[in-house]
Amino acid sequence: MRWGWMRREVAVAEPVLQVRALCIEWRGADGRANRVVDGVSFDLAAGATLGIAGESGSGKSTLARALLGHCRAGSAITGGSIHLDGDDLAALSEAELARRRGRVMAMVPQNPLASLTFHMPVGRQLEEVLRLRAGLSAAASRLRALELFDQMGLPEAERLARRYPHQLSGGQRQRVVLACAVACDPLLLVLDEPTTALDKTTEAQVLELVRRLRRARKGAMVIVTHDLNVVADICDRVLVMQHGRIVEQGPVGAVFSAPREAYTRVLLGAALRVEEASRAAPALPGPALLEVEGLGFRYARPSLLLRRAPLGPPILDGIGLSVARGEVLGVIGESGSGKTTLGGIVAGLLDGQAGALRFDGRLLPGLARQRTREQRRRIQMVFQDPLSSLNPRRRVGDAVMRPMRLFQGLDQREAARGAAALFEELGLEPALLSRFPRQLSGGQQQRVAIARAFAAQPDLLICDEITSALDASVQAQVLDHLAAMQRRQGTAMLLITHDLAVVWRMARRVVVMQGGRILESGATEAIFRNPENPYTAALLGAASRAARAGRPELAEARE
Amino acid sequence: MGAALRRPAALLGGLLVVIHLVVAIAAPWIAPFAPTSLLDAPLEPPGATYWLGTDDLGRDAFSRLLWGGRVAMLVAFAAGAVAVLGGALLGLAAGYRRGGFDDVVMRLVEMKLAVPTILFVAIFVTGFGQSVPVLIVAVGIIQMMGVVRTSRAAGIVLMEQGYVRAAQLNGESGPVIILRELLPNVADLLAVEFALRASSALLLVSALSFLGLGISPPTPDWGLMVEDGMALLESEPALVLAPALCIATLVLGMNLAAEGLADALGLDAARGGGG
Repeated sequence: MRWGWMRREVAVAEPVLQVRALCIEWRGADGRANRVVDGVSFDLAAGATLGIAGESGSGKSTLARALLGHCRAGSAITGGSIHLDGDDLAALSEAELARRRGRVMAMVPQNPLASLTFHMPVGRQLEEVLRLRAGLSAAASRLRALELFDQMGLPEAERLARRYPHQLSGGQRQRVVLACAVACDPLLLVLDEPTTALDKTTEAQVLELVRRLRRARKGAMVIVTHDLNVVADICDRVLVMQHGRIVEQGPVGAVFSAPREAYTRVLLGAALRVEEASRAAPALPGPALLEVEGLGFRYARPSLLLRRAPLGPPILDGIGLSVARGEVLGVIGESGSGKTTLGGIVAGLLDGQAGALRFDGRLLPGLARQRTREQRRRIQMVFQDPLSSLNPRRRVGDAVMRPMRLFQGLDQREAARGAAALFEELGLEPALLSRFPRQLSGGQQQRVAIARAFAAQPDLLICDEITSALDASVQAQVLDHLAAMQRRQGTAMLLITHDLAVVWRMARRVVVMQGGRILESGATEAIFRNPENPYTAALLGAASRAARAGRPELAEARE
Repeated sequence: MGAALRRPAALLGGLLVVIHLVVAIAAPWIAPFAPTSLLDAPLEPPGATYWLGTDDLGRDAFSRLLWGGRVAMLVAFAAGAVAVLGGALLGLAAGYRRGGFDDVVMRLVEMKLAVPTILFVAIFVTGFGQSVPVLIVAVGIIQMMGVVRTSRAAGIVLMEQGYVRAAQLNGESGPVIILRELLPNVADLLAVEFALRASSALLLVSALSFLGLGISPPTPDWGLMVEDGMALLESEPALVLAPALCIATLVLGMNLAAEGLADALGLDAARGGGG
């Protein structure tokens, strides 16, 4: 049998893990105690898989660490107990905990790159775990390491074992970390956001692996995630957390199909939105606002000798599309599909080497500085990371007033009034104008960035993954404001995202990109319901798992 | 700032700098004698009148010691300011423009690294005359090169930030982007650079004076005092040790303060000088 740890029979009803009234407090620099985990109780049986869901700040990661007897600096377990395999982790000494880590409980941390030692080949790292934790000899650990890599679905294990972490892809790193975690077959395996850093296809493969592990292992598994699709896919039970407390818990099917708490519905709503009707504004009649014809792009390879550097492989190849006035066009694809590069070229950050851009009937030069002032005003962009898109040393009001002064020639007072009006339209208190970016939440920062773009009164807005750095409930809020703004101003939008729910909600028309080409384009509804291209179908399949878990009738209809 | 004061080494450093500054500013009032007047027989031993004795010309060594940091500190701080302002603008412009301009600036920086510091100042002083303004410019240029490199590196990182891209897309000019978007974000970095550059400049000025290339006699100066006292090191060690100790404590103080400042601002955390 390939699966070494499949020998034992699965699922004994006896709970492996018992958490009772667990409280964890964090003491800040001012000495005030802050309850990060507040009276959490649950049981986990051997062979069962529990999903802990919640937004960032809900205490789910703190809880996950506590299950390994670990607390972040400044925080401590102040009440309750964690019984794992008969021992209370809260009462064990650091040395006793260290002996159990890896053998009794193990963790797959969020960032696989950070948890691997960067200057050591990955094979040696796994062998070290096997030698020190499982007590294998050097020769035995070498064989076992290759076997484990093989079981993790890593091809050519011998060659891969000699590589360093930075030479592996994100998916491969995650598999290596998983191999280290299951190396000693722990009773409890904790996975902290195992797929957050991965793109959709890799995510699906890693999840498939986790599913196989789950079936093959006797021990219990806890998966911490903000992505309810992952919970729907893998877990038996789910525990929804907010502000350190358990909002709701139960079997996945029951919680997802009939959530009792409003908060659970908000989280689910974000994942289920694929099933809602599109609310995008219709395109205005008339000639196209933006036309892209035969656009190609390659990065220049750096060269020591030649001034004119040779070009790398094509990032974009023969892209053609058009956006009508007031129309929202969705651009979807995985990372590496070239969608961000496309946005960068239309915005004027990059210069395509082939093809042409036409804006409002006139040829549009490549880089922003070659364009006319009027063209620069009419094409604006909102970036992915809200914090980095605002200058940390300037008040956010400055950022919004600057385009008004630059393009409309308003004086300080008029611009301040204009900025306050924009803020109100986007649901921001005008008092926030005098704050610095760090004093705002992520959702507020992104709305400020949207306000800055609208301050120029653009005709075309390029949005590059503008919600991917935000929590689910905040995403909805930001998109609502953006949609309302777009409707009022009749702004056309190029909406670049890997999140299908965003496209479904905002765009009536969509193009699907892969490997620098457009695979498919047309009405969002038609493509989502009947994708012609197998790649599109796979992309859509990954997105609607949560929907199916919650609504069996949809699952039947689709399959 | 409060965080800097919680670190004992930084506190000590700041205290040393403040003491030296206060003494230098107050020297005309607190020094018992004029630093350049010939008062008594040369090489009087230390005593109640002349606390450190008199030097080889019969001037009060203690009064000269109190006065001795004034010009050197003026040159060091002015050169530090020249280095930080010039270096930041040049480095940020190189990081912003890249391409040919960047190449030229970086080759200049490397050229300066290839020429020995003392030789550079010697040529400069020979060409433009030995005066305090010339010294400030020469030492400033030498210290500037390090600032160019750090601010260029910080600038390149900042250029990737969304707010800089947004400004570029709106067609903001280079100087506006450098002054509005980049400069405020390297302010922390520059504060630390200033402290480090001024400390290194002070050491350099003292060395130059010692070699006769820096501050000219009869101005009271620690570097000059060390040079004057060298011949009498065996009989009158205090004439060398006292000014040397002053230089050492001031440079040490400035370095400790700079380190504490960098620590408090979180600049060691590889944040590229950002926010």
